[in-house]
Amino acid sequence: MTEASLYLLQQIINGLTIGSTYALIAIGYTMVYGIIGMINFAHGEIYMIGSYVSFIVITGLLAIGSFVLPLVLFIALVVAMLIASTYGWTVERVAYRPLRGSNRLIALISAIGMSIFLQNYVALSQGSRDVALAPLISGSVLELGSLETFEVTLSWMQLLIWVVTLVTMTALTLFISRSRMGRACRACAEDLGMTNLLGIDTNRIISLTFVIGAALAAIAGLLLGLYYGVINPFVGFMAGLKAFTAAVLGGIGSIPGAMLGGLILGVTEALTAAYFPSEYKDVVAFGLLVTILLFRPTGILGKPEVEKV
Amino acid sequence: MAKSFKRFSKTLLAAATALTIAGTVQAETLKIALAGPATGPVAQYGDMQKIGVLAAIEYLNANGGINGMDVEGVIYDDACDPKQAVAVANKIVNDGITHVVGHLCSSSTEPASDIYEEEGVLMITAASTSPTITEKGYGMIFRTIGLDSLQGSMAAQYILDTAKPKTIAVIHDKQQYGEGLATVVRDGLKAAGVEPVMFEGVTAGDKDFSALIAKLQKADVDFIYYGGYHPELGLILRQSAEKGLKAQFMGPEGIVNSDLAKIAGDAVEGVLATAPKAFDQNPENAERVKAIEAKGEDPTGPFVFPAYAAVQIMADTIKAIDSTDAMKMAEYIKANTFDTAIGTVKYDDKGDLTESTFLVYQLHADGSKTPAQ
Repeated sequence: MTEASLYLLQQIINGLTIGSTYALIAIGYTMVYGIIGMINFAHGEIYMIGSYVSFIVITGLLAIGSFVLPLVLFIALVVAMLIASTYGWTVERVAYRPLRGSNRLIALISAIGMSIFLQNYVALSQGSRDVALAPLISGSVLELGSLETFEVTLSWMQLLIWVVTLVTMTALTLFISRSRMGRACRACAEDLGMTNLLGIDTNRIISLTFVIGAALAAIAGLLLGLYYGVINPFVGFMAGLKAFTAAVLGGIGSIPGAMLGGLILGVTEALTAAYFPSEYKDVVAFGLLVTILLFRPTGILGKPEVEKV
Repeated sequence: MAKSFKRFSKTLLAAATALTIAGTVQAETLKIALAGPATGPVAQYGDMQKIGVLAAIEYLNANGGINGMDVEGVIYDDACDPKQAVAVANKIVNDGITHVVGHLCSSSTEPASDIYEEEGVLMITAASTSPTITEKGYGMIFRTIGLDSLQGSMAAQYILDTAKPKTIAVIHDKQQYGEGLATVVRDGLKAAGVEPVMFEGVTAGDKDFSALIAKLQKADVDFIYYGGYHPELGLILRQSAEKGLKAQFMGPEGIVNSDLAKIAGDAVEGVLATAPKAFDQNPENAERVKAIEAKGEDPTGPFVFPAYAAVQIMADTIKAIDSTDAMKMAEYIKANTFDTAIGTVKYDDKGDLTESTFLVYQLHADGSKTPAQ
């Protein structure tokens, strides 16, 4: 392969990695929107809390004894998902459910308030400085090309991100399409009131979507925390914004759309940084969003919303 | 008639008492405002400033104060946010304080300095190195730290004379401090006929630099100057090490921080940085270092002794002119030389130090630094 194509390959690998985690976070936005039609702006903060919990668990476990690394990561993942889900559930219960049925704007403000609250709550309880974790997973799976020209590397960490994202997304897709609860979710997305009349506890289903979204955000929190090694209470804002963009890009309300949107956004960012000065990364990524929305207002895979009479 | 006279005399008495009380309070304590980030991502720089100022104030108070006045440091938190810095500056003025050590980040100092100049408040910054702060011809604004541009041209000189790399990239964080320095470095290199292959900004707060690193690898860069602060450079170093990018990194004093090693780990070893001279190693400061260490604080931060010196300059001036009037003090400071914790200090017309206080250092993974060859 030529140097130029190796370089392109490397940038696509980088883009897919970051895109996978956008997709994981975007699921939370898209599922909640699909069912109750609101944007949960506190979702980025749930991701950040997932990061913090996994950092605390990993540091704690490594400090008390010599566990094997996969076990440490597994425990961290489970604890982070549990705690983040609890936060997701509580946020819905406290800040959204009492406002459901009122003006959409009110729920939006409540969500923004929740986001600011969680950010400052973590900043006050954990300190607002960067928290760092030494690299746990290093080395690369694949090296292509030669050192003299350009070497493509796929690190174990990147591979882990891909695999975990792929497994999670497959599991989620199966859950939504095959299980009873998944069917109930789809029914709620179609018509919340009708589903309720048919004897399904819609409140439970709505709570469930918040819990699933939060759990996936926690997975992203752990993965990105390990990948970058640095977190602070404010990482949720930008990650949330990017993931929200990914959700809108793919078609908000659509789960495959969120996955696709995340990957497209990630790869676009990487390729922009690759061939233009990297300061234009966000300009191009968000410019793409505007362009796609101009031609497809519902996003790439979104269905046009039928106004309910 | 008698009644009204009685009331009048009471008012007089009250006024007189109030005046005396006000008079004594003013004579007993001199309040120095300490403006800088106490929270936020660069709060540790604020700590350095605080350690220096408070140590200087404690020393003064233990030795009879300034002309019998006790000194008190009042802390104001600007979180290194320009908007909050303006609010803090207004609050300082409202609180009647006319002596300020701070602010810390150049982007905060600049808007705040406008307010101080207008309100006649004496300001000495121990950390802001952006040249624009003193370019407006203000009379009340001073520094106890060298200029950005000096730091940048020093870095450029070092790259040309000592490092002599083949291909250079200059990266910055698009902020006043970082981009300003990066521009000076690039221009310094260009002036000597060395053209950097890349001059690019990254977004402050970004976490993913994999695309940038691949680009640096493709360009075969062997020397990277980074204008900015430690959180981004830490991540760049860490991700470069993971991706196998082998290049020499160099940065300004904004990257010199123990958190850099926490973020980047071993990748910090050998990184170059222009930083204020290590004043804590200066034998003349041994007593001061001991006093700070006795409180369980760290005297090694780059802004500790410049902050200490800022208080010394204020104290010496008040002693010499026997007045706390900020305007008169500013005139005296411009006209005289001071013997301080950072050596002999003399100012030019703009309020800048006439001598550079920087040196090129090599950083180590354990958070320490040694002068570079």
